[in-house]
Amino acid sequence: MHDLFFVGFLLGLIGLGFRRPFLFVLGYVYVDIVSPQRLSYYLLNSVPISLIFFVLAVGGWLAVDNKSGLRLSFRQVLLLLLLAWCGITTMTADFPAAALAKWDWVWKALVFAIFLPVTLRTRLRIEGLLLFMTLSASSIIIVGGIKTLASGGGYGSLDLGLDDNSGLYEGSIISTVAIAVIPTILFLARHGTVFRPDKRVALFTAALVFACLLIPIGTEARTGLICIGLLAVLMLRDMKRRALYMTGVALVVAIAVPLLPQSYVQRMHTIEGYQADQSASTRLAVWQWTWDYVQDHPFGGGFNAYLQNHLTIRLAGAPGGGLAPANDVAHDQARAYHSAYFEMLGEQGFLGFGIWALLHLAGLVRMEMLRRRFRRTTDPDEAWIAPLATALQNGHLIYLVGALFVGIAFQPFVYMLVAAEIGLDSYIRRIRPRQTPAPMGFVQAAQA
Amino acid sequence: MIDTFALVLTHALLALTAWRLIRRADLDHDAGAERPRPAWGRRTDA
Repeated sequence: MHDLFFVGFLLGLIGLGFRRPFLFVLGYVYVDIVSPQRLSYYLLNSVPISLIFFVLAVGGWLAVDNKSGLRLSFRQVLLLLLLAWCGITTMTADFPAAALAKWDWVWKALVFAIFLPVTLRTRLRIEGLLLFMTLSASSIIIVGGIKTLASGGGYGSLDLGLDDNSGLYEGSIISTVAIAVIPTILFLARHGTVFRPDKRVALFTAALVFACLLIPIGTEARTGLICIGLLAVLMLRDMKRRALYMTGVALVVAIAVPLLPQSYVQRMHTIEGYQADQSASTRLAVWQWTWDYVQDHPFGGGFNAYLQNHLTIRLAGAPGGGLAPANDVAHDQARAYHSAYFEMLGEQGFLGFGIWALLHLAGLVRMEMLRRRFRRTTDPDEAWIAPLATALQNGHLIYLVGALFVGIAFQPFVYMLVAAEIGLDSYIRRIRPRQTPAPMGFVQAAQA
Repeated sequence: MIDTFALVLTHALLALTAWRLIRRADLDHDAGAERPRPAWGRRTDA
């Protein structure tokens, strides 16, 4: 029954794709996020459905899509460079087999991120992509939200429906992504044209945002709490009634804190006493190791180069009798980076890190430019542009802060957000090209 | 039970999204979105 449900859904999507090939692109997005082949017991788990949808998406685009005015943006060129550089470091990797295993999914995420913007030719396609991304992620978020409400969750123990800690099904990753996606959910609720704002949309949005906020509590991932804090600050930027908003936030915090599970409160307290916490101290030790490593290997060690680290961790001891005895020493090895920034440095060296950082920085800057250009527009056809640029930028910033503590430099979902930014930017360039300034005095002459 | 509820709900919404998308002409072509460059941006007095 379970498997037939997925097969029916996928066949339905393929059927609709033959009427409108853009649905193949959305089908790939769905398969990449939800991984129905891994949720399936027997029918789908041996079928390469991801490959099938990718071939259909590219084939459909090549065969029938409008390609006029097509050009690669600066960020797509950066993605191409990053792809090529990762290919080179994989060939020269310290651990060839382990590097190849990661390359196997990274290249797909990058190629799709390069391809996706060229298909985003209309406003409705951008909206359709964002709907598919958020609804697909919701299939994991709603499970996590309800289970957190029912049981309170627990670090590493919240069952999200798939027990293999990959993709979005890993606790720290879903905590960051669930918060990063909230601005997009709110945008869709206010400016959606597929589901126009009404009471049902408002109810679903409120429930979904609530579920998103519960994910960091259910997974007890500390990064998620930091992301929620950042989200609260970012939303203040475009709030009309700031005093009311801040009062509301304070009220929610006051009501929510006593209701939080005890184990969650204890774990969040370790953010303050991080020096006594082995998980946090290990991170600091890994980061130090990575920094030293990249001095000797400026071109990086290829994917999964962290496997070679040996760490000696000194725990400072918590003030007032904390988690570890004072000056305790622990040893560890092959610890993952626990930070996308150090992941890029250690694996791809300074060059790879530079391309990656420039890619994200350029995205933030471009969204800021769109925000400012269309913020005060009076044209109702343009009213959605600044809010979408803001939502994508907020999500991007939350990702970049979450990525300080989680190794998600190549998380495919984030590259879809990046692709949505590129798509929006290219779309606006096409439909609203910047007006060339008129020569001095010409405007008056033309008006006369 | 919870897993099934979330899967059915989100897949129903995804299916509804797909169905509404294919029925709209502006999925493939934005009607009237592209605007000509404003006349005052061009030099016509040369």
